[in-house]
Amino acid sequence: MLKRTLEKLCLLCGASGNEENVRRYIFENAKSYAHSITIDPLGSLIIEKKGRMRPQKKLMVSAHMDEVGLIVTYINDDGTMKISPVGGIDPSVVIGRPVIVGDSSINGVIGSKPIHLLSGKQRKEFPKFSELYLDIGAENKKQAEQLVSLGTYVHFLPSFTEMGSSRIRSKALDDRIGCAIMLELIKEELPYDVTFAFLVQEEVGLRGAKAAAFSIAPDVAIVLEATTAADITGAEGDAKVCSLGQGPVVSFMDRSTIYDRELFNIAFEECEKMGLPCQTKTRIAGGNDSGAIHTSRGGVRTIAISAPCRYLHSPSCVADMNDIENCLRLTRSMIEKAVEI
Amino acid sequence: MDLWEILSRLTSADGVSGNETDAAFTALEILKKYCPDAYIDKMGSVIGVKPSSEKNAIHVLLDAHLDQVGFIVTAVTDEGFVKVGNVGGLDMRIMPAQNVLLHGKKTISGVIASVPPHLSGDEQKVLDITELLIDTGYSKDELSSIISLGDRVTFDTPFMKLENKRLAAHALDDRCGMAVIIYALELLKDVDLKYDLTVLFSSQEEVGEHGAETASYNIAPDIAVAVDVSFAQSNGDDPVKCGRMGAGPMIGISPTLSGEISKELINTAKNHNISWQAEVMNGTTGTNADSFSVSRGGVKSCTLSVPLRYMHTPSEVISVDDVENTGKLLAQWLKGGNIC
Repeated sequence: MLKRTLEKLCLLCGASGNEENVRRYIFENAKSYAHSITIDPLGSLIIEKKGRMRPQKKLMVSAHMDEVGLIVTYINDDGTMKISPVGGIDPSVVIGRPVIVGDSSINGVIGSKPIHLLSGKQRKEFPKFSELYLDIGAENKKQAEQLVSLGTYVHFLPSFTEMGSSRIRSKALDDRIGCAIMLELIKEELPYDVTFAFLVQEEVGLRGAKAAAFSIAPDVAIVLEATTAADITGAEGDAKVCSLGQGPVVSFMDRSTIYDRELFNIAFEECEKMGLPCQTKTRIAGGNDSGAIHTSRGGVRTIAISAPCRYLHSPSCVADMNDIENCLRLTRSMIEKAVEI
Repeated sequence: MDLWEILSRLTSADGVSGNETDAAFTALEILKKYCPDAYIDKMGSVIGVKPSSEKNAIHVLLDAHLDQVGFIVTAVTDEGFVKVGNVGGLDMRIMPAQNVLLHGKKTISGVIASVPPHLSGDEQKVLDITELLIDTGYSKDELSSIISLGDRVTFDTPFMKLENKRLAAHALDDRCGMAVIIYALELLKDVDLKYDLTVLFSSQEEVGEHGAETASYNIAPDIAVAVDVSFAQSNGDDPVKCGRMGAGPMIGISPTLSGEISKELINTAKNHNISWQAEVMNGTTGTNADSFSVSRGGVKSCTLSVPLRYMHTPSEVISVDDVENTGKLLAQWLKGGNIC
């Protein structure tokens, strides 16, 4: 049922700072399994789950609820609107896309000048965000202002599609995959007490993680993520970074964190014991909430378990359900191992 | 009739140039209500006739093109990615992470591969069509029983209502032109026309007007109007090169078009208070009218265009008001005393 949970989570819209829909869904679905639920001042959802035993070391398992999106910054006289990215998005995956705007889910498209009216040079260059605009069909500024205010969030059109025998295509796989795995674990009987943190504002600088890690004050942390896979035709060897279908990704280092070596080794040992594939990243790229968590207070021993994901930060990310299932299995066993180190 | 429903049905059918079968059968079903003998010709165009009761009546051809821009499968890589060529003019800047449908033995979903910002660095380059890779989730082996070289690929975007009776969809170029003609037929359904009317939904416009060229040879009309789309001004566009959305049909005026038809279309609009705008061109028009005007011994031709934003992208935008007004103008013109 992991896939159904993931689908429901992906179809919700929650750009950074606007996580309410995702938070409410998780709250409603986790509350009957939780010992306690709190929402911290930034909006992160912190769930204490009782296990069979009290651990020696406090364990936090986290994933982030937010996704990349857009925000309306100005309304033009002709009723179109200027937009800025929330999180790291390339204009190339925004131009010409259907989007939904604001809480009332107004339909819109991101406009682009037709190629017939572009110069040869312009056809070969991606536009900048400052050249893109949102079109909801409004006739003028006044009408647009009645429907949309400055600061309104814009999201990629939700759609969740199964591809091939085990692949899925959706927006927001980063990091609803982590959220879905945590929701499954919360429903299970666990060996030890675990604090599950559903975090806000990862995509704009790991901000929810910084505050929540302070409040929770864990000794050990497991961060669940989706990480960038570049395993497409033409990418050879290390340029693939990691590959779909090759199992959970456990990194030794990325742009935000040097991970705990013992936890890194244990993860590979556990996968081997369970007969699961497991891989590490072959480039030092990307980063995640671990960056804020591992330096919280006096330091937290941290590991990240990620599902490999293609076309990250686009409306159409692709991941493999087998990898996600295997991330769940690995996380389940790491909950037991992590508190015993 | 519900124009929204017609537009939704027409845009959800696939019909990349040269393989318009799905769109053709969808159009044929709708057209048969008005032209019971409608058929599909050798080139894949849909043709229907509404004869006049008068003998030796002037023969008028109304045309909108059936095909849409898209892709054609050229190769499958060892890793199972599908490579494509373009069919018609495509904007390569919009390709990364674009959803597509591949029309093989069955229709499957895919997405055009992109390099995420974490890895791309500062200088991301617009890929050439030959560099595009479509990810279907299948291996090369699995794909071999589904996809063959030469299969067509379309954008996969939904039909979306916007504000002010506007809508976004792919293939509105030129399915909205087909909707215009169907709406005109609806308005004319109980009218005894003075003219023999032939409706043509032509194949292969986007690759050189081949469906129009061959069908107009067979139809041999006296007068032809190509109903197509033209640029509607959007943010920052040059108003000289664009019409305005919601301001009504754009009536073509050009050295290659019949000035008499342009004039009568304008008169009709004025007499019936239908909002209209002039689309002045200085030579050929980039529409099927270019083929009609030199068909056989020459045909008096004109263009009538629905203003459209974001042409040839998966999210083309039109106003249903413009579709209605263009249909009304055609119907009134055919009912009027002077056709040219």
